[in-house]
Amino acid sequence: MANEVWLLAEAHSGELTAATKELISKAQELAAALGGQPAALVLSSNAAQVAETLLSYGLPKVYSVENPALEHYTTDAFVGAAAALIRQHQPCVLLTGASLQMRDFTAALAADVDAGLGSDCTGVAVRDGHIVAMRPSHGANVINTLGFNSDLVIISLRRQVAPEAQPAGGSGEVIRGQFPQVAQRMRVVKVEDKSNAVNLADSQIIVSGGRGLGSAENYEKLVPTLAQAFNGAYGASRAIVDAGWVPYERQVGQTGKTVSPKLYVACGISGAIQHLAGMRNSGTIVAINKDPDAPIFKVATYGLVGDVNELLPALTEAVEQKTRS
Amino acid sequence: MHAVVFIKQVPQQNSVKITPDKQIDASGIEPIISLFDEYAIEEALLQVEKNGGKVTVVTIGGEEQIDALRKALAMGADQAILVNDPALRNIGSLGAAKVGAAVVRKLGDVDVVFCGKQSTDDETAVFGPAVARYLDMPVLSYVYKVHELDPGAKRVVVDRAMETTTETVEATLPAVLTTVKDLNQPRYPSLLKIKKAQKADIPRWTAADLGLNTAELAPKVTYLDRVPPPPRPKGSMIDGGSAQEKARKLVDVLVNAQVI
Ligand SMILES: Cc1cc2nc3c(=O)[nH]c(=O)nc-3n(C[C@H](O)[C@H](O)[C@H](O)COP(=O)(O)OP(=O)(O)OC[C@H]3O[C@@H](n4cnc5c(N)ncnc54)[C@H](O)[C@@H]3O)c2cc1C
Ligand SMILES: Nc1ncnc2c1ncn2[C@@H]1O[C@H](COP(=O)(O)O)[C@@H](O)[C@H]1O
Repeated sequence: MANEVWLLAEAHSGELTAATKELISKAQELAAALGGQPAALVLSSNAAQVAETLLSYGLPKVYSVENPALEHYTTDAFVGAAAALIRQHQPCVLLTGASLQMRDFTAALAADVDAGLGSDCTGVAVRDGHIVAMRPSHGANVINTLGFNSDLVIISLRRQVAPEAQPAGGSGEVIRGQFPQVAQRMRVVKVEDKSNAVNLADSQIIVSGGRGLGSAENYEKLVPTLAQAFNGAYGASRAIVDAGWVPYERQVGQTGKTVSPKLYVACGISGAIQHLAGMRNSGTIVAINKDPDAPIFKVATYGLVGDVNELLPALTEAVEQKTRS
Repeated sequence: MHAVVFIKQVPQQNSVKITPDKQIDASGIEPIISLFDEYAIEEALLQVEKNGGKVTVVTIGGEEQIDALRKALAMGADQAILVNDPALRNIGSLGAAKVGAAVVRKLGDVDVVFCGKQSTDDETAVFGPAVARYLDMPVLSYVYKVHELDPGAKRVVVDRAMETTTETVEATLPAVLTTVKDLNQPRYPSLLKIKKAQKADIPRWTAADLGLNTAELAPKVTYLDRVPPPPRPKGSMIDGGSAQEKARKLVDVLVNAQVI
């Protein structure tokens, strides 16, 4: 078995994603601790170009499979291609991002190659020569440390686990894999960008509103405006998603998105345990609520007691003034 | 058509305790069907109402999980199965998926398998894609709309929601679909159906019934530690005479702390 630590690289229009650059750093760190080598895996209809970019990050090896079937993600094509390479080269670790696609991919792949799997982890390290991974469960009320007893460990990792790697020049080699004969039982018919799509997980500042906003109109008027002043994104509690004020994709919490921005501003949100599950790992939390006993203040770095109808416009104004000056 | 739905019972809210031997203790917390599984049950019922056939709901777990199955029966599922075997405790989502695959194989004539995209307690999102691979079926995850599900033509077309895109994807049947919110509006069972479900006969299956070698189900993941999240540092309240003053003070604090 090769002591190789692989990362699955993702690129958009030829550019490596920020998540991939973090994974490169992490794979380098783990490989050093395990006395092995980092390597990237690229599965794409345009793999050759991405592989060249990856080499420029100083990786000694890049495994690549190029095939038109890899233009859009399907479980059949991606897992088929990855499983064939893994069986042939037997890495000991595979790191991926924790996007929805990657979580589908890692689950199916782990089943295929009989690997140990850490899904949606917030950290991974080498302890006494073994891989350990950290993952929250139960709405972030439990932090699990996972150990593994398999030849291959697959870990999908959230953002902000390592610094983004920088290009370092390199003379590594690209190992081209064959696209295997696999049943392709699914086909992507159409991909559409969501209107006003926002990947909350990628936002550094998030302003969220809850039932305290009073109405959909009020939310529309106050929350996006403040988010814009901060140059951030906006989210919502489940109460107002269920009420139809805001689409589900903006819901933060246990059954919505998990976010950990630098700054999270909760406006008119009570701070139910299911909402906290989605945002309690944020860097700084500001809570704005008229009820001084609202549970949200227990996790807030800074609390403001008062009416959102007065505080949000005042805050928008103050932030705009500050950024103008 | 025959639709199988995998459901799991979870604590309604997650203020669980951790026992000294690193197990989760959810005693005293109301148990419910994991949120995304309710959409899975509802969609199976809708599709079977359209195509004719039956819905089987399945749980792999202890005797206490029977309530979730009874609720699914009350919603309209035709039969329920509880796979309950002490040898199948703590096998993780991958292990549960292996057992799930054995259940589908034993049932034999399955056209479509539904499960939640992720459970609200373990939150691994592993079961659906894994059960599909063990069954050698295609998997369509994160489904929020079913355009077509035709057991005759063996074809399914769905929309699924990714972070910043939506995709229309088609696949052959049999297939596994994992469900997200927005797919449908789960129905409330009538009192009459709840009463009937209380009396329904729910078979218990064991690993032996499924022809499973339990040694092969040993989890490849161990819990080295389980702890509550570290407490957040104590915060402070920002006072002021007017909204404007509070807002200005907050912005100053955020700037000084280099948050903005
Ligand atoms: C299985 C399950 C999963 C769930 N998943 C999620 C989830 O993913 N995300 C989520 O958010 N919730 C989730 N919930 C729901 C959660 O329990 C709460 O019901 C919800 O978060 C409450 O939303 P809220 O804070 O907006 O509303 P409320 O709890 O009604 O709070 C409104 C707050 O606004 C304040 N307020 C009112 N008027 C004003 C004003 N004028 N100015 C300032 N403050 C004001 C009030 O003091 C109050 O604190 C889930 C629940 C369950 C059972
Ligand atoms: N023990 C189980 N019994 C039945 N269904 C399960 C079980 N574990 C997981 N599932 C199904 O798989 C989905 C995803 O669960 P998980 O992989 O734990 O996030 C759940 O929503 C259920 O539909």
